[in-house]
Amino acid sequence: MNNLRNLNWSIFGAWIVLAIIGLVAIYSATQGPVSEFLPDYIQNNFAKQLLWVALAIVFVLCFQFFTPRSYMQLSYLFYAIGIVLMICTFLFGTEINGAKSWLRIGFFNLQSSEIMKIATILATAQYLTSRRDITAENIRYALTAVAMILVPTIFVILQNDFGTAIVFLALIPVMLFWSGLPYGVSIYIVSPAFILYLTVFDWKLGAIATILISFLIFMVQKRVWLTVTSLITGIITVVGVNVALTDILQPHQIARITAFTNPAFDPTGAGWNVIQAKTAIGSGGLLGKGFMEGTQTQLKFLPEQWTDFISCVIGEEFGFMGLGLLVVTFLFLFLRLLKQAGNHKHPFAQLVTVSVTAVFFIHFVVNIGSATALLPVIGIPLPFVSYGGSAFLTNSLMLAICLNMDLYKRDFSIYR
Amino acid sequence: MNNSSNRIRTSIFALQAIMVLICLVVLGRIFYLQIIQYEVYDELGDKNSIRQEYVDAARGLIYDRNGTLLVDNQPIYSVTITPLNFDTENIPLLADLLGESDSLVTELVNDAKRYSRFRTSKLITDVDFKVFSLIQENLWQLPGIGHQIDSKRNYPAPITASHIFGYLREADENDYKQTQSIRLGDKIGKSGLELYYQDNLKGDLGINYLKVNALGQSLGKYTEQKIAKPPVQGDNLITTIDADLQAFAEKLMKGKSGGIVAMNPHTGEILALVSSPEYEVKKLAGRIDKEYWQFINSDSTRPLFNRAISSRQPPGSTFKPLMGIIGLHLGIVTPETEIYNSGYYIRGRPYKDLADPGLYDMESAIAHSSNTYFLSVMDKIATSGKLNTWSKLAKDFGLGVPNDIDLPSANRGILPDSTYLDNRFGKNKWGLGDVLNFGIGQGLVSASPLQIAQMTSSIVNGGYKIEPHLLRAVVRADGSIEQNNSTKEKIDWVKDEYLNTVKKGMRRNVLEGSGKFYAAVPEIEVSGKTGTAQNPFGFSHGWYTSFAPSQSPEIVVTVFLENAGWASISAVPIASLILEKYLKGEVERQWLVNYVLNFVPKEDNSEASVSNE
Repeated sequence: MNNLRNLNWSIFGAWIVLAIIGLVAIYSATQGPVSEFLPDYIQNNFAKQLLWVALAIVFVLCFQFFTPRSYMQLSYLFYAIGIVLMICTFLFGTEINGAKSWLRIGFFNLQSSEIMKIATILATAQYLTSRRDITAENIRYALTAVAMILVPTIFVILQNDFGTAIVFLALIPVMLFWSGLPYGVSIYIVSPAFILYLTVFDWKLGAIATILISFLIFMVQKRVWLTVTSLITGIITVVGVNVALTDILQPHQIARITAFTNPAFDPTGAGWNVIQAKTAIGSGGLLGKGFMEGTQTQLKFLPEQWTDFISCVIGEEFGFMGLGLLVVTFLFLFLRLLKQAGNHKHPFAQLVTVSVTAVFFIHFVVNIGSATALLPVIGIPLPFVSYGGSAFLTNSLMLAICLNMDLYKRDFSIYR
Repeated sequence: MNNSSNRIRTSIFALQAIMVLICLVVLGRIFYLQIIQYEVYDELGDKNSIRQEYVDAARGLIYDRNGTLLVDNQPIYSVTITPLNFDTENIPLLADLLGESDSLVTELVNDAKRYSRFRTSKLITDVDFKVFSLIQENLWQLPGIGHQIDSKRNYPAPITASHIFGYLREADENDYKQTQSIRLGDKIGKSGLELYYQDNLKGDLGINYLKVNALGQSLGKYTEQKIAKPPVQGDNLITTIDADLQAFAEKLMKGKSGGIVAMNPHTGEILALVSSPEYEVKKLAGRIDKEYWQFINSDSTRPLFNRAISSRQPPGSTFKPLMGIIGLHLGIVTPETEIYNSGYYIRGRPYKDLADPGLYDMESAIAHSSNTYFLSVMDKIATSGKLNTWSKLAKDFGLGVPNDIDLPSANRGILPDSTYLDNRFGKNKWGLGDVLNFGIGQGLVSASPLQIAQMTSSIVNGGYKIEPHLLRAVVRADGSIEQNNSTKEKIDWVKDEYLNTVKKGMRRNVLEGSGKFYAAVPEIEVSGKTGTAQNPFGFSHGWYTSFAPSQSPEIVVTVFLENAGWASISAVPIASLILEKYLKGEVERQWLVNYVLNFVPKEDNSEASVSNE
């Protein structure tokens, strides 16, 4: 085994910092004065999370005794087990907060979609890296990879967990892009999401984005057919969203979609979470109201403040300094992981590291975006910070794999 | 391979650039919310978690002139409900604890829901303390149910005086619209002193700031107390009422219908004011007894009607002393002028005069209530075209004009002049026949007992117009006292000689006239004048107005009894006893008290269209 001293301690450190920030926030959100309004099982969340963090540290360190070969070879098996777990969850799962994502195993509630994230990344990466360069001629490989990602996505949607579904879907462009999909095509496949987002604010923004993206694709790829396709897709997106918002959707559906841009439209319904989250963060100011002093947090104005809205707790009680530290720590982690990916010679290690980073990043953006009303409210936890045993362990496992591949990066050549 | 590693480097850079860019957007957003828009969200946060709550002020107390406490406040226990948090499945349990029927509780819960699903409102007020304790013990089983202690009016003195105090009721929407200072559901004065001095009595609401959570549950006081404002207790009222005299007057009026006003003739301070039948103001404090409320509102005896100040009846012969004064002033008669009574005064038709036939000067005309004398005076006034002058002069004594007493609903009565008669009968459609009996207080002339007491006061106090009132002083929460200074205005045309003549007549009425049976009080000189108001529906209404001691009057007592017939045996003994009680402190004539308490009305003169008491 390689010496643990060679472990990437800066990534490990960032991970610990995030876990500590999370523990502090969970403590305040469940053990502060607010605890008198919370049921016992939620008050236990801090103690449980502390246990998970301790377990995870041991686990991450022990995991370094494995070599990458083991999980490379077993990746398809993991994927198969993951799919079986997903089916079990679909059949026998427990519903929490409207999402049927949990499988009860003994005393422990397992969130199977978290396991599935790792399995999907490993299996798809294994598949893609065993076949090189995806081009227009080899589109069959690409489609197989897409199918490997879409199958768990469908299960996640069946579980009513749209936040996680978005994470899976985001893996498609990232993994294909890394596997050699041309830049122009990569831009093209993410462009509808971007155009759709802007059109919700104003269709003119969507239209401008369509033109700019098509121009960018033309500059990168110099392919007229792709540029035209992009232009047409963009126009269809803008028109489609506009028609949906004005003619097809009912007012209450529109209210839910646009709540993040105009929460005052329905302040006690769809807009409630948005208003309370913005108020919590905004009223924190530069330095915050102090640990366990936030009125929004302690008087239970925030929904799910130990998971999806944990960033509001940090923002309210520790202000811009606290929330800024959180964002900077995450950015540091992302950049470090990407740098590590760039250092790998083996495409499997590259692709897995990039995919893991992408998963963390999507979680981060959607979570903070929801809390700050940059995005519609989509329930998704903040990695390492939000309460949740399955999520913390599996996120740590993903990180452990990245650290492990980095630790063994010189041995990779023998796997070829 | 070189191509591939180039691509990897570019890709890594592109991904890093995207992540840095998006993190910068997030940081910018956080900066915008936390630094630029801080004030907006800070205020929003405070609004969320701090609720302003009003604190009721204790309503002012009411005392009598000697400092006896008449009205104070008593805690009552109310059960509150927040419909949003209340589970209707708990209705049977709640009804059981309250000792009420399920259907009533369901109705009350629905009422509260209609008011607001989110706000706390009173479900039921004035519950028994035992029930209240029971609810308190079981609150854990009843989410959404709360309790509250507030107050109701309490009447510790042994007097009823409902028409003086008046009652409180919850402010309705109209009251709420009128002023900012009352809230829906606040109890406000609806009659009597409670209404007239509402602004003094109510005090100022205090303001408290409470920390609340997202469910609206209160978490105790907000720590920054500097903005909170304690409630200011309402002003206490010291009234002019003499509680002993009031209690005695009420006792004498039991079972009778009418009004009594006892007043200091020099100041206008009302010593006792009774309207009978009375309602029990106690029964209207706290939780309203709906049946009782309906009863007093619809009963034919009209218990809510204040007969002492609001009834409007012809004053009959009690008006004669004032006629004498006007006659003297207008030079129609002198004190020595004698007019012969033949048993009838004939003018168009005969007017019966029950006084013994013979010559009457003014004193004896008042003493024996000769109709002929005053009909003749009125005749001369009317025929010399001085009807309007007569009306104006009489109004100076407080008749036919609005009364300034500090109670709502005082009636102004009627003192006709030509304009009034034109309006009433049509221009030139009235004549002497309609006017003549004004001279003996009959026909259209009408007044309340309060006005007759006021008129009598002006006669006995040397010709001053006084303002009858019930408020002696206001004691503010800070201890400062504001006296209610009695105003007094000389009626410029009234000369002492007129008054002396009339007062002698009133003294003789007690000695030798209709007052000779019961009016006199041992050891005290008493003066007075009886009267009868015709009642087409039954026994006549009896009047008596009196004062004592005759030489230096300290008190005027006016008694009006509905359907009592003969005033000399009904109203007179009541006034006499009140004079005795006030001037001597104790009543020695227990036999007379018994007589009054057991009095049964008798008709004086069934055939008479005109009375001569």
